Parts: sequence; C-alpha cells; structure tokens
Amino acid sequence: MADVFDSYAMAAAWDEMFEAPGRPRTPYRALFAVLQPLSGADLRVRADQLARVFTDRGVTFAYAGEERPFPLDLIPRILDAAEWDQISRGVKQRVLALERFLADIYGPGEVLREGVVPRHLITTSANFHREAWGINPANGVRVHVSGVDLVRDEAGEFRVLEDNLRIPSGVSYVMENRRAMTQTLPGIFAEARVLPVDDYPARLLAALRSAAPEGVADPCVVVLTPGVYNAAYFEHALLARLMGVELVEGRDLVCSGNRVSMRTTQGERPVHVIYRRIDDDFLDPLHFRPDSAIGCPGVVNAARAGHVTLANAIGNGVADDKLLYTYVPDLIRYYLNEDPIFSNVDSYRLDDPDVLAHVLNHLDELVLKPVDGAGGKGIVIGPKATAEELAQLRSTVAADPRQWMAQRPVALSTSPTLIGDQLAPRHIDLRPFAVNDGSDVWVLPGGLTRVALPQGALVVNSSQGGGSKDTWVIAAEEVEVSVPTQALPPAEPPPVSTRDSGPVSAQMAGQQ
Amino acid sequence: MSWRLRIRHVTGFTYDGMAHTSYNEARMTPQSMPGQVTLHSFVDVFPAATTWRYTDYWGTQVTVFDLQRGHDQLRVTATSLVETGLVTYGELPECDWDALRTKRDEFSELVAPTPLTAVSSDIVGEAAHVVAGKSPAAAAVALADWVREHVAYVPGSTGVRTNAQEAWALRKGVCQDIAHLTVGLLRAVGIPARYISGYLYPLADGVVGEVCEGQSHAWVQWWVGDWVGYDPTNGCPADHRHVQVARGRDYADVTPLKGVYNGALSSHLGVTVEITRLA
Amino acid sequence: MLSRIAESLFWIGRYVERADDTARILDAFLARMLEDPWADENAACRSMLAILGFAPHTDGRLTTGDALEILAFDRHNASSITGALASARENARGARETISSEMWECLNVTWHSLAARRKAAERLGPHLFLGFVRERAAVLAGLAESTMSRDDTWRFLVLGRSLERVDMTARQLSIQAGTPQWRTVLKACGADESFLRTHGGEVKPQRVVEFLLLDRLFPRSALHALTTAEDCLRALTPGVERAGVTDPARRPIGQARTRLEYADMSTLLDDLPEHLAALQRACAAASAAVTARFFVQAAAVAWALEDA
Repeated sequence: MADVFDSYAMAAAWDEMFEAPGRPRTPYRALFAVLQPLSGADLRVRADQLARVFTDRGVTFAYAGEERPFPLDLIPRILDAAEWDQISRGVKQRVLALERFLADIYGPGEVLREGVVPRHLITTSANFHREAWGINPANGVRVHVSGVDLVRDEAGEFRVLEDNLRIPSGVSYVMENRRAMTQTLPGIFAEARVLPVDDYPARLLAALRSAAPEGVADPCVVVLTPGVYNAAYFEHALLARLMGVELVEGRDLVCSGNRVSMRTTQGERPVHVIYRRIDDDFLDPLHFRPDSAIGCPGVVNAARAGHVTLANAIGNGVADDKLLYTYVPDLIRYYLNEDPIFSNVDSYRLDDPDVLAHVLNHLDELVLKPVDGAGGKGIVIGPKATAEELAQLRSTVAADPRQWMAQRPVALSTSPTLIGDQLAPRHIDLRPFAVNDGSDVWVLPGGLTRVALPQGALVVNSSQGGGSKDTWVIAAEEVEVSVPTQALPPAEPPPVSTRDSGPVSAQMAGQQ
Repeated sequence: MSWRLRIRHVTGFTYDGMAHTSYNEARMTPQSMPGQVTLHSFVDVFPAATTWRYTDYWGTQVTVFDLQRGHDQLRVTATSLVETGLVTYGELPECDWDALRTKRDEFSELVAPTPLTAVSSDIVGEAAHVVAGKSPAAAAVALADWVREHVAYVPGSTGVRTNAQEAWALRKGVCQDIAHLTVGLLRAVGIPARYISGYLYPLADGVVGEVCEGQSHAWVQWWVGDWVGYDPTNGCPADHRHVQVARGRDYADVTPLKGVYNGALSSHLGVTVEITRLA
Repeated sequence: MLSRIAESLFWIGRYVERADDTARILDAFLARMLEDPWADENAACRSMLAILGFAPHTDGRLTTGDALEILAFDRHNASSITGALASARENARGARETISSEMWECLNVTWHSLAARRKAAERLGPHLFLGFVRERAAVLAGLAESTMSRDDTWRFLVLGRSLERVDMTARQLSIQAGTPQWRTVLKACGADESFLRTHGGEVKPQRVVEFLLLDRLFPRSALHALTTAEDCLRALTPGVERAGVTDPARRPIGQARTRLEYADMSTLLDDLPEHLAALQRACAAASAAVTARFFVQAAAVAWALEDA
C-alpha cells in the first residue's frame, strides 16, 4: 500500500513531526497512524474540498486585488501540553512587560530616564505618536489583543521573531481552520484531546467590555473596519458576528463633544469601546492623515477625554518596532524582575557604528529587516540574495541605518505539507494570540501556524505565498475530563412516542 | 522687569459656502512657566461650541471643539492676562561642546531635523565659520544673527507651510521662517533647539493702558547648560515683551488653530492680535 | 441598526428581486421571439430594453443575442442580472455580520458560479443560466424566510424586495401590453399556474391584468407587494397618528395601493398605461423617501485640513 510518508525527505531544520525518518514525535503518533494508510491522492481530494469550503464561505484574503482562499494545509501542527505551557507563559510575560513599557513611554518615561532604552530610539520611531501621550485607558490596558510571532530554531527552541501589538490579524483563520478540519477530516480528531479554539470571541468581548470607560454599566462595543476592500475584512465581519456587536465603518460613526455614537435607523446611539482594525495613521484625520476617508475625526480626543476606549490603543507601534525588539529582554527584567522565558533571535543594532560596519561587511550571512515593515515586506535574506540585491541593500542600509535591523538567519522548523499530492517539509512559524482583559492575559490555545509554501522559503506571510495549518494543543493528561467514579444507575428507556403520519396510498400501505 | 499684558488674539476661517462639520484644536493659551504666569485665559468660539482642554506632549494647553451645524465662518478669540519677565536669566552654567554631546540622547528629538527645519549641508557649510572657535553659547547667538543677516524679514513673502530650505533659497521670510532656519542650523551643529510660538509686544517701552496692534510671533530657545530664549527676527533675547504660548520641534507642533472639516473651500480669516500693557 | 446596514439590506432585497424578475422577463421574451417568427426582432428588443431602463449604445440592428448580453451578462450595469447579483453580493459583504451566514454564502456562491453558468449557457442555451438565477433567488428567499428574525433587518430586506417587485411588475406589463401574448406575461410573472387554478383555462386580458395588479392573494401581484411594503414601513415607524400619514415613504405607497384597490374595473385595460406609470412613480418616490429618512449621511466624506 502507498504510504504518504514514504517519500517524505526531511530538511536541514527541526522537523515538527519526525525525530528521524519514519519515527514520529510522541504527540504526532496518533495522527501518523491515521494518515499513514491514506494515499497522496486521497489527501489531495480532501485538500481541494477544503479550498472549496473556504471560497464558498468567503474565508479569503485580498491578494493583488483578488479574493483568494487562504490555503489551509491538511497536516495539523501539534504542540504538547509542556510546550504549550512554556509558550503561553512566555507570551504572557512579554505582553505584560510591553504593557508596562507603553504606559511608561506615554506617561512618566522612567525607562528613558534610567537609560534602559535610549531616548532617541523612541523619539525617532515613526510609531511613537506624541498624540497618544497623556491618554490613560480606563482599565490600564493598551494591548487588548496581541500576536507574538514565534519560530523554532534548529535546536528545537522557541524564539520570538517579532511582537505585534497594533492590529494583529489571523485569528479568524484559527477558528475557520478548525471548523473546516473537523468537517473534512473528522477521523483525525478522534484519538486526540485537542483544546478548543472557539472561546476566542467570548474572551475578546469580555476584555473589550472590561475596557469600557468608567461608569458605563452596559458598554456598547463595536468593531471598526476600513471596509470590504480591506485584506482582513473577512476577519472583522467574523469577529463582529461572533461577538454579536455592530461592524462599523468610519462613516457610521460620528463624534460630537468628545463622545462617539453610531448612526442607526433609530437615530444616534452611543459607542463606548471601539475594537478598531484601522491603522493609527488613518484613524482620526484631525491628528493623523487628514486625507483619511475611513477614519472618524475627533475619536482621539474622545479617547483622551475618557468617553470612549480604543482597542488597541494608539501608538502601540513604538513597542513592536523591530529595533525596540532587541531591548525586550531588558524590559522584562526591568519591569517584571523576571528572566525572559523566550530568547530573541540573535540581532544586531545598527545604531552602533562598529556593529553597522560589521553588518555591512556580512550582509550575505544575515537577514535584514526594515524596522517598520509589516507582512514580511522589504526583508532581505542575505544567504539567498543576489550580489546585485546585496549591493542595493548595502547602500540603502548605509543611508538610513535607523530604518533597519539585522538578524542571524534561523532555519525555521519544518512540517510535512501537502504539495501537489506529495508531502514535503515546509518552513513554519507560530502566532499565538493573547487577549488582555486587565486582570489576566489569556492566550488562545494554539494560534496561527503559517507555512511558507515555496520550497525553502523562510518568509511565512499570506501576502508572500503563505498558507496555514490547524494548530493543536493537546490537553495534559491530568486535566482530562474526569469520568464520574460513581456511574449513574442505568436509566429506564423512555416510552416509545408514536409519530403521526398522513394518509397513505393503498400501494404504500401494502409495502409496510 | 515684570510686565502685565492683556492679549486678544482673533483668528479663523471663512468658507466659500458652508462647512457642515468641523473638528478643531486651538493652541492659543499662554503657558505658565518660570518667568511667565498666565493669570487668566479664555478661548471663545463663534459659532458657539462647547470647548474642552488638555495639555499636550509639549506642555501646551490645547482647546478642543467641534461644530456639527452648517457654518460659513469660524472665528476663535483667545483673551489672556499674562505676567512676563518675572525672572531674568542668571549666569549660565559652564557648557562646552563635549558636554552637549553627552546630552544628545536626552535631547534627541530637539537635535534631529524635521521636514520644516531641515537644512542642506551646503547651508551648514556656509555657516561653519560663524561657529568656529566659539563656545556653544556664543555660537548659538552668532548663528541666529547670521541667519538674520542673510534672510530679510518680509511680511507675506512665505506661507505657513514654507520650510527652512525654501526660505533660505528666497533669502527672505517671516519670523516663522527665520525661526525654522535658526533652529535647523542650531541642531545641525549639535545644539538642542526648540521653536517657540507666542506674541510680541510691539513697543520697546509700553504705555500702560494703551491698546497696541501686536502680532503672532515665533522665536527660538536653545540649550547650552540651560534653556535660553532668543528672538532671531529682532536679534535680541526673548524678554518681558515676549509672551510664550507653545514650544515644540517646529511650527507643526504649535499650530495656533488647526482642524478638519467637510464642506466648501476655506480661506484664512486673517489674524489680529491686540496687546495692552496693564502694569 | 446601522443606517449603512439598513441601506445594504434594502438594496440586497431590490437587486435580488431585479435579477429574478429580469431572468423571468428574458425567459418569456426569448420564448416569444422563438414562437413568433414574424416579430420585428430589432424593434422588440429596443422596446424591451427601453422599458427596463437600458439605452443600447449601438444604432445597428439588435438581436435577441444582444439583448441577452445586455440584460443578463453585462457586469458593469447594476440592472443586468450579473450586475445586480454582483451588487447584491457586494452589499451583503458589507453587511455580512448582520445577515445570516447562510444568506451570505448563498449570495457568494451564486456570484462565484455565474461565470461557469454563463459558459454552460453558451453551449446549452440561455434558459440554463436564467433558470439558475431564478432558483438561487428562491433559495435566498427561503433562507431569509427561515433564518432571519422578523426585526428591522428583515423589514428593510422585504421593503426593498417589495418595491422592486411592484416596479418590475409594472415594467413587465408595459413590455407585454399591446401584444396578444398574455400567457407569456403570466409566465414571466411566475403566475401562470396560480392564475389557471384561480380563473380556469380561459386567458382573458382583463383577467390577467386584474390578477397581476389587483389580486389580494397572489404574492407577486402589485397590490400584494404594495401592501407588504406598507406593512414594513408602518412597523419601521410605529406609533399612531391622529390624522393623515406623515411618513413620506408610506404616503405614495398607500396612495398607489388605494388607487389600485378602488380602480374602476370596467376601464382597467384602457387605463392600464396610466396605472403602470403611476406605480413606477410611486416606487421611485417611496425609495427616495426611505433613503432620505433612514440612510442619511452614510456616504463617505472627505476631510480637508486647515491651519492658521
């Protein structure tokens, strides 16, 4: 019998599923047993079925002006309880430290006075919004939702690639992937105790409600979207629907006297919490880009006056700047007095002339990232770049080193991925999503595993030919739902209740 | 010498039709700080609107208001009562170029160029001989005076969005341009500098009780061991005739009235400033 | 509910009904052209297009193929079937969290299937395409019926559908009036079987017009649709008025309804053109009033910066 794993050739990286060819890691054994009898063609048929489900449901992202289904790979990525425990503690720690940092930067600035982070790093950041200074969110939370991108290096250690504290997207795929997988491949869930992901909307809504301005007993929460042409519109609509709140566009909102309301068929209705999926730059034409037609003028001052809460807060970008990233371990020690649970990927700060010179001489061995880039844009992977690209990069970086940071290339871990009707190793990362309600940081079990579909590619992003995988967190043995020790006495079978039926023809009656 | 001044500052917009909705911020309230105390201040808006105040990142009082009804004119009047010249500058602490270099991080945003203040290396090169061999304190005054020598004060020659480089090319400008150029050059040689907006009492010796036509004015402050105010347009230290309203990196941080609106095209109403010396 | 969403629902109702009715009209029209080889194809096409609000760009002879292209497949006109379904989907996309997922998926799948259906129709005849459109409209109506709460969301959808239905029924009658094809008219309105059961096999013009305009029980009659629209509007603005009706949307609808309800049956056929024109005017007036009343300021505004 054809074995889908027979032809699987491991790459020179940590393989998530196999410790050696044909030897699956412990959490993957059950899955391996279920998949092994299938053929590549069987998998292909199911994969095509998955893609169709996504197109019909409109689970798409905008790519070059077209709506495309976000490719979902059939082979899940599995994390065991111990791995997950480390990830969720590490993410919490980072979010808490960065919350403290933001409160400090947009307030007293102790961290700068004490020289933990150089002041120029903040004042030269395009994402340091002086407009946000002095805005104190109601429950102190600025990072209501975050996504901390993790990769696993050659030795199997998780490392942080970057923090996303502005408007991290992708959580809708986590929920849709699970839904599609349970429909298409119900068999593979039978043996596994996979933690559910459908708590997310309820957790998010609770966090948003607890962020409401003081004195508002029953806050009105809305999701603010740039509109149907936004790449993540599907996600905005899904979250609004699952939270049972209105999905508004800027033109639906009106600010008056520092209070925000939405225009309804019954007149204007007050709004208290805005989960906004619009970038800072477009949020309020009074303070940011005046040509923004998707924002709502006055909303920044409404937040400043404490009549509305913006989630996430304005100006969070200063804390997920890729240059600040190199200081996050220091921030964790400074604010929390703890050792960092995650290491960063080894990084170079180019503001030191000696480091800059070193980096410029070793561009072919390093990964260069624009500090302000989103979606993998502008990243140059030295070992894969042509001489021409490197020369171009050298002059660009030398001209404005503040806009760049350098990292050691990490061979991201790989996971078996269906390419055509063969399984092949492809590089993956992980974006766990965290929700901060002010008293606790909750991390959605699993998160979004993104996979770089082109062979050898290391940039995993939907805008760069990426797909995703369903991400399983296997429950620990001890939290397994306990079976009641005293079994209930067998119940009497209920009396058979007869069903009414209509007139039947003689012929049908005769058949019975 | 301490003066008491009453200032009435009127500005606004007219529209070629109607503006339906507008959102605005006025920075027209004089600051209270060492050397200056604002005793009373009021910002009035026509058509009437509820105003709300906050203090921004730079320490400026901002008056916020919005208009939800159609209007063909917006007029903002700020009336203030201010005491100035309460202290004179004492001896400056010793400060050499090395000391300034150690302060670069602390004053990072006040030594970095901005789009309005950036000057080309050519201009900096031309000004190099002015600075050569001087202490920071002496160099700063020399730079300000050098700008004043080369750029003529010509009212109306530039607009609110003219930058330092453009004003230099014209060799003329208003106080805003001269301040931008001075700030730009100071930063280029490593002296932290900020842009100040406010009012200038027009006469050297004011007559108590007489209403004078004043003006919105801009000057600079630089840090050479301590902050020093200097008026490069008039070539004199900032003193009791200067009423400070706001400070920042450049004009964009201190714009007296800015807003967004929807409706017909707007034009500036023009500014009038009346200053009366009361004591 | 949000004004913008209300507007989307209203237009989903209108566009889907428009696609459905256009498919019916085209079906009936194509059948008539086949059955009547002496018909002046060019004149018939031009007259139908004009009544449906299209002005063809060409002065040359129009064929049924041209009419089909314009009415069924033109993506750039929101009154063609393809255009109307695209617009309905676009509106549904913006109101996705308000309508049920089933309804959104139905519109989304319909839109994604149109290209393939068109290809099939090119080989196997337009009926395949038109039948698909009618069937999808019925699926959507069924999903709305069974998945939507009867709140304002529902009312705006039904209001849009009803107004469009009145308008399209009037246009259908205008196209067919003057031709002896009354059976075709009934078919085009999906009313032939219901009519036969009600009035028997004898198809008299007077009876057909009565049935399509005045029947109180047939859901596609103008009177029935007007009554439904009026009910929706009344529920959207509850409250009892001592005298008169101040709602500017309800007034033209109510007037059109009473005019039909109390029409002189003996002169119905003679007065038909006048009745039809009045119905179209009433729909336009009501639609404009609903827009002004409920959908205010939903358009994006541009902001200009000023500083001094």
